[in-house]
Amino acid sequence: MTATVTAPGARRIRVFGKKAVLPWVFLAPGLLLALVFKFVPMAKGIWLSFFDVRPFLGDKWVGLDNYTRVLTDHRFQDAIGHTLLLGIGMSLGGIVVGFALALLLEGQARSLKIVRTAVFLPVVTATAVVGEMWRLLYYPTSDGLINQGLGFLGLGPTPFLDNPDTALWATMVMSVWMLAPYNMVIILAGLAGVDRTLYEAAAMDGVSLWQRLRHVTLPAIRPALGIVLTLAAIRGLRVFTEVYVLTGGGPAGSTEVWMTRAYTLGFTRNDIGGASAASVVLLCVTLLLTVTVNHFRKRGDAR
Amino acid sequence: MGDRRRSRRLAAALTAAGLTFGTAACGSGSDSAGSGDPNTLEVWTRSNPDSAATYDRVFAAFTKKTGIKIDYQPVINFDQQLQSRASTKDLPDVMINDTALMGSYQSQGLLKPIDPDSIAGHAQITAKSWASTVGIDGRHYGIPYSRQAQTLMIRKDWLHKLGLPAPRTWADMLKVATAFATEDPDGNGKADTYGMVAPGSAQNGYVAWWGSSFLWQGGAQIIEKDGDGYRPAMDSAAALRTVTWMKDNLFCGRKNVLQPGAITAVTSTATNFQDGNAGMYLTGPYNITTFDATPGKDKYEVVPAPAGPAGSDVLADGENVYFGARTGKTEQEQALAAFLVSAEGQKIAMTSVDGHQPVVRIPTNATLDAAKVRDDARWSVVQKAYEDTSRQFPNAPDFAPIKQDTADSLNAIFTYCGSDVSSSLKELNDTLAGDLKDQDLLK
Repeated sequence: MTATVTAPGARRIRVFGKKAVLPWVFLAPGLLLALVFKFVPMAKGIWLSFFDVRPFLGDKWVGLDNYTRVLTDHRFQDAIGHTLLLGIGMSLGGIVVGFALALLLEGQARSLKIVRTAVFLPVVTATAVVGEMWRLLYYPTSDGLINQGLGFLGLGPTPFLDNPDTALWATMVMSVWMLAPYNMVIILAGLAGVDRTLYEAAAMDGVSLWQRLRHVTLPAIRPALGIVLTLAAIRGLRVFTEVYVLTGGGPAGSTEVWMTRAYTLGFTRNDIGGASAASVVLLCVTLLLTVTVNHFRKRGDAR
Repeated sequence: MGDRRRSRRLAAALTAAGLTFGTAACGSGSDSAGSGDPNTLEVWTRSNPDSAATYDRVFAAFTKKTGIKIDYQPVINFDQQLQSRASTKDLPDVMINDTALMGSYQSQGLLKPIDPDSIAGHAQITAKSWASTVGIDGRHYGIPYSRQAQTLMIRKDWLHKLGLPAPRTWADMLKVATAFATEDPDGNGKADTYGMVAPGSAQNGYVAWWGSSFLWQGGAQIIEKDGDGYRPAMDSAAALRTVTWMKDNLFCGRKNVLQPGAITAVTSTATNFQDGNAGMYLTGPYNITTFDATPGKDKYEVVPAPAGPAGSDVLADGENVYFGARTGKTEQEQALAAFLVSAEGQKIAMTSVDGHQPVVRIPTNATLDAAKVRDDARWSVVQKAYEDTSRQFPNAPDFAPIKQDTADSLNAIFTYCGSDVSSSLKELNDTLAGDLKDQDLLK
């Protein structure tokens, strides 16, 4: 537990003592928002996952039926592979690119600040807008910007999003583009804390760039990487908007991920119970993953 | 230390209780919106602000005539909002929404049954239209309000340039599409024109919605009535022939017969006809207003859909007036419905004021002629298609899962050009059987 309650001579505090109430008063607005918009809907979602949801006729208890239905549905099973590939791919891609960007753009120069701001823009742009933009970039004829570029290299136009073999990878590239700058900022903060004298010492010893990265930079930004990894574990598997706006799960279901399946189940097939069950399954997996990542992080820190 | 922790816990519990109470108090304040007044009807339509402006005029005329007030709510994400209202057991009195949703709403108990005789002027609605609002138990659950049928929009300037007539059969259509794709109909010297537009994505069931006209023209059906139930029919020879034809000639056919990216296109991204680089689009007449602006009224014409081997049936859909279950204002609701389907009410809804989108396409009131009311001969093509060669999705079952599964399957078949159509359709048929079984409709 926490080690904060060590006030000397712990004297009796009245039940409504200022010190006990005050923190909660300050927390109240945030808690209220979290309660109304996060915890109540979450609890309701878990509750609904055990029902055949019929808002008007009254919900019908079905026990674990929704779970068995979701877990045995072959389209959900197909979605697992896509979700893992996309989640892991975009998380690792986001970290590698974010790290590279951070190394390139670290520094105090004014020009670097401007470039950093520009690079950060994808993070603050609405995903729907980004999706529309990438649809244009990926446009399957030589009118599309990427295909125009390929044309200069003498390569024919590629239907990135319309080919089931490339659609998931194309979605991944867009996701990395959106995710990397966010990671970059966290890693930049980590880089700022690296002791400069270590670099100088390394330079004196005449080490290679790779050795410097491996033995000086990486160990120093360990905590930052830990945060980035935890965030990736939380966000990676619940990917939805990127796929929904770019491909809608198509073509031929080749980019269908867990959450787009759940969305279709809930909102086009009106099966709110099944959609809730699917979401609860994802919640459990995410929780497990986050706890695991944190465990390894803590163990690593302790070493 | 223990005391301190206890007092903290107590404070936390009190805060939580206070919060809960606070939220409950906030929640209870908002459910009084107009439902108390017996002379006010709460009416919902699935409309954006543009078409809501037209509904405003319709309801103003109704209030002026009858004194019954309307609390009008245009709702864009209609079904999500309706579900949350349903959970409070307090539905809107009257709703105007898609015909295809009737089965779904009825199965959820959201609708009041309607006796056609109780609606003044019910005889002015054709038997065909009334037949489209019969539910699974044989009772009516909606009042036909607006209808539309798909027609082929085609660039007449391109036809003229290439010296081709408007297509009448699938073979003609393919020939014209190929010519549009290869013979540079816009004369800019570049191969940047496409034959036809197809929203081929499975999202929201688009490819099944667009492709259903082709299925019917080829003699195929998605599900068939069988006694007092239904059975899946996508394993028929006609379905195999039709889907194979669509795959071989459209999606996997010659390059540019369809617009690029057709396989992932939904209606909002399939804008090639509007952008002026595709020559044909089999779609609903609500697009006429859009296409009159671009590519321009003088550039395209509206013709009946080319016929397939089994005829030229096209998809018809539209909107019905629904009464919310357990709302208790039946008399006023019937008065509103009677006005909405009267010649007067339909005329107001069919005309555009200040460029706003009309909300009735083909009037269900048979005394009206769409082309005359609008003074636009193209609408007679649409009306004729609706009256003579159109078919709706079966209205009684909850069609949403059936449409979605059909779309998923068609999209997969059209994506993998080397796929085995026959086995894919068999698989689809089994899935559809499951959908029907879920609704206790499989015979």
